[in-house]
Amino acid sequence: MSSTPSLAPIRPARHARFLDDGQLADLRAATLEILEEVGVHCPSRPVRALYAEHGALVDEEREVVRLPAALVLAAMARAPRGYTMGARDPAFDLVLDGTALYVATDGCGIEVLEPGGGRRASTAADVATAARLADAIPAVGFYWPMLSAQDYPATAPLHELLASYPNTVKHVQTETVMGARPARHAVEMARVLAGDEATLRARPPLSALICTIAPLAQDDEGMEGALVLAAAGLPVGFMSMATAGSTGPATIPGTVVAGDAEIVAALTLVQLVYPGAPVFHSLMPGVMDPRSGAFLATPWENEIAYVVGVELAHAWGVPTLAGVFGTDARTPGWQAAAEAAVALTLCSLAGAETGSGMGLLESCTLFTPEQLVLDADLHERVRCTLAAFDTSREALALDVIRAVGPKGHYLYERHTRDEMRRRRFSPLTGQAAPDGRPIDPLDAARAEAARILAEHHPEPLDDATARELARIVAAADREAEAAAAGAGP
Amino acid sequence: MAGPDDAPGSPAPGAPSVTPPLEPIRSHRRIQFLDDEQLDRLQEATLRILEEVGVRFPSDRALEILGDHGARVDRASQVVRFPADLVRRALGDAPRTFTMAARDPRFDLRLEEGVSYFTTDGCGVATIDFDTREERPSRKSDVAEMARIADYLASIGFMWPTVSAQDHGATSQLHEIDAAVNNTVKHFQGMVMGSGPARRAVEMATVLAGSREALRERPPISDLICSIAPLAHDHEGLEAALVFAAAGIPVGMLAMPTLGTTAPATSAGALVVGDAEVISGIVLLQLAFPGTPVFHSIMKAWADPRTGGYVGYSLDSRARYAPVEIAHRWGLPSMGACFGTDAPTAGTWQAGVEVALDPLLGGMAGPELVTGMGLDRTYTLLCPEAIILDDDVYQRARHALLAEEVTDETLALDVIASVGPGGHFLAEQHTRVHMRTSLKRGLTHELAPAGGYRDPVEVARERVAWIRANHHPEPLEAAKAAELTRILAAADRELGAPQ
Repeated sequence: MSSTPSLAPIRPARHARFLDDGQLADLRAATLEILEEVGVHCPSRPVRALYAEHGALVDEEREVVRLPAALVLAAMARAPRGYTMGARDPAFDLVLDGTALYVATDGCGIEVLEPGGGRRASTAADVATAARLADAIPAVGFYWPMLSAQDYPATAPLHELLASYPNTVKHVQTETVMGARPARHAVEMARVLAGDEATLRARPPLSALICTIAPLAQDDEGMEGALVLAAAGLPVGFMSMATAGSTGPATIPGTVVAGDAEIVAALTLVQLVYPGAPVFHSLMPGVMDPRSGAFLATPWENEIAYVVGVELAHAWGVPTLAGVFGTDARTPGWQAAAEAAVALTLCSLAGAETGSGMGLLESCTLFTPEQLVLDADLHERVRCTLAAFDTSREALALDVIRAVGPKGHYLYERHTRDEMRRRRFSPLTGQAAPDGRPIDPLDAARAEAARILAEHHPEPLDDATARELARIVAAADREAEAAAAGAGP
Repeated sequence: MAGPDDAPGSPAPGAPSVTPPLEPIRSHRRIQFLDDEQLDRLQEATLRILEEVGVRFPSDRALEILGDHGARVDRASQVVRFPADLVRRALGDAPRTFTMAARDPRFDLRLEEGVSYFTTDGCGVATIDFDTREERPSRKSDVAEMARIADYLASIGFMWPTVSAQDHGATSQLHEIDAAVNNTVKHFQGMVMGSGPARRAVEMATVLAGSREALRERPPISDLICSIAPLAHDHEGLEAALVFAAAGIPVGMLAMPTLGTTAPATSAGALVVGDAEVISGIVLLQLAFPGTPVFHSIMKAWADPRTGGYVGYSLDSRARYAPVEIAHRWGLPSMGACFGTDAPTAGTWQAGVEVALDPLLGGMAGPELVTGMGLDRTYTLLCPEAIILDDDVYQRARHALLAEEVTDETLALDVIASVGPGGHFLAEQHTRVHMRTSLKRGLTHELAPAGGYRDPVEVARERVAWIRANHHPEPLEAAKAAELTRILAAADRELGAPQ
């Protein structure tokens, strides 16, 4: 068994604002106007009934819900600004108080890049492997199941959780659990992990991210699942991936407010039904490639959209899950590094509480272990660079400067020996093989990933908990089989 | 092959190409790496070092000037100690802003805090040949090639000699000026050392400007002088700096402290050593020529604790950007330190990850000048595509720092209402109008014929080839070019025969 290294979130010494108060007010006003006048499509009858019960204007024929501004503002005022997302080991709890940015792994990929360059569909075993890797990397604050458990097509989201928990002591956030029934199983798993109801609510070991559908629409399974999770006190976030030019207007502010309206409509419902439930806001818009129609996350113009998302979340008074990392590159290399730095830095400076995510290529679909190691190196660069600058007497070293004087050198100074040990160099760059040849940083990353996977075995789940989780998922499998048989010819 | 999407229209055959307007980073979003108390503490430390430890000035002329103005000069050790009030008085004469002019006035750089003009990197010694792709020693023609590329890139505000004109021996620095000014209309910043070469460089600058008076008004070149850590100046550097300052040519004082060898192994200590070197040099220039344009620059590096090798990038880049605030606290323009990866070659993960934060955080610190794009292997190797890759990183940061326009037109509420829930925006007039400008294709989003996107490094190489084939900036007037050639010939005779 290995000990899991302490988390190393990004704690910027100073924060920065990117939109001014007037711009944020304009964006919020636009969102309220859309919610009141245009509304959102809500295909779930029980969810529409809940909206109606709490004062929303529901058009049953068109399945559209409109929300008066006063209703939205009153509901959002109940949402907590911060809370704790619990981990299996309390030392890894995430306190969302705005002082630190915790970054998750990326998800939910569907392919694994093999060492020879081949690709294969992902399985539950890959989710377990990636969890073990993530557990050993201090930059990973919490775990998104990085890959889809495609070997369990009917119950993949629950198998992803089943594969994750034994392999990391960190908080797990699902981005695939949808629908009331799977959500109830997920809540059961969380309750088993927490041990008791009070712990489940105070330090929930599971949270969930639910996607909306741009423009201005909700998924019935997503919303029904979200309500089950929120009822149990698990943090629930809503994410919009509105795309400028196709599912959003061809301007960043237009796409931002369209996406924001989707998120706020869903957050409002949760607060109307379960006042004070922990929620988060996640805006990850893209731009359509006008020639291919593809969703692009990383064009130059779109970087600012992610930090605008962070500031909007805070303007609504809730924590954010920021869009950081997530490259369009197909292989590890220059592009993946060059694309990831800006959003991570800006969202850190804006005070994002959580972000996703590290380690996938090809627009969040392709997993290769070394990419997580490489992204962690970039995370460490941002963490070190945004930390407070030390101008203490020891750091100023005036006595040493005086002793060395003009044209001397510092090699023999005790201060040099002590302090050089504290300087942070990348373990991936500037490395040499025993024969002196430079090691390619990508090879160093592959070697580090292999070392971790060979050596790191986090604290296992206790047997009883492991058995109970397996029983819950087995029951879900049986239900799914029965449902499939029932739906058959 | 086709040119870049944003290429200016092709000129008529034989006509010069249009140099695209400059696109400096204008960040209204600022970040402070040091608070006011820390800045005061650092400044106080620099003043104490200058007063108590001193800085070595191996130049009789410099020692004389400093002694005449009240500095405490030890002739035997050549160490000068500066009373704090002398430092403050001298710095009070230094201008906070000035103009670094270009051959074409539209490319003049009017220095102001918050508008950052970036340069090419310098001064490398090896080149991956533009045609053969073989590594070889750098030469004058490489500077000319890079000047044309720099002229084309809107991200490049002014030019450094990217590599050394090693085929011109002792007068290489003058040949670098010649190669650059014949191939770009932008401002050139040299690294000329020694009074003899500096006098020739001033002659060249006078020819370019038209007269001595015009040279002072709109200097088309500036010069960068490096000190020697710890706490010493270079004889040749001091002599050149005094010649340039006398002519009104802007001089930058650059310190390059290395943690663990030539500076303490702490960032704050290294910055104090570097600041003391820079400030002492600027004090000399202001005492000799009050009001002469100067700028401040500290570029910190590390000694690799295992090998002693020079490391430009650790995981912690704070000390790359903090010196900007130190310069501004003194009331001086700053040259920030960005780019110049330690990666052995361009287009790799390391070459991307090391520089990816630079233009963003460098821009947010608000320096007037910033170096420098286009070299690998810690400022020593020119890979032709490196400047194009660095330019892409620069443009990503520049766009991220642009003010967001939140207007009725960009919010598009009417369009959102008309599309409604569950529709799409593809057929909207608003989409057709704005999609034309909402996606600028960087290197990473060039479509591949077979679907997907092309390898950005390959795209960068093609951009270099396209610029070399198609971009021919307005040439220098023939009479001026001929006069520069005559000055170079005289310099070659006087200072060392060309090889």
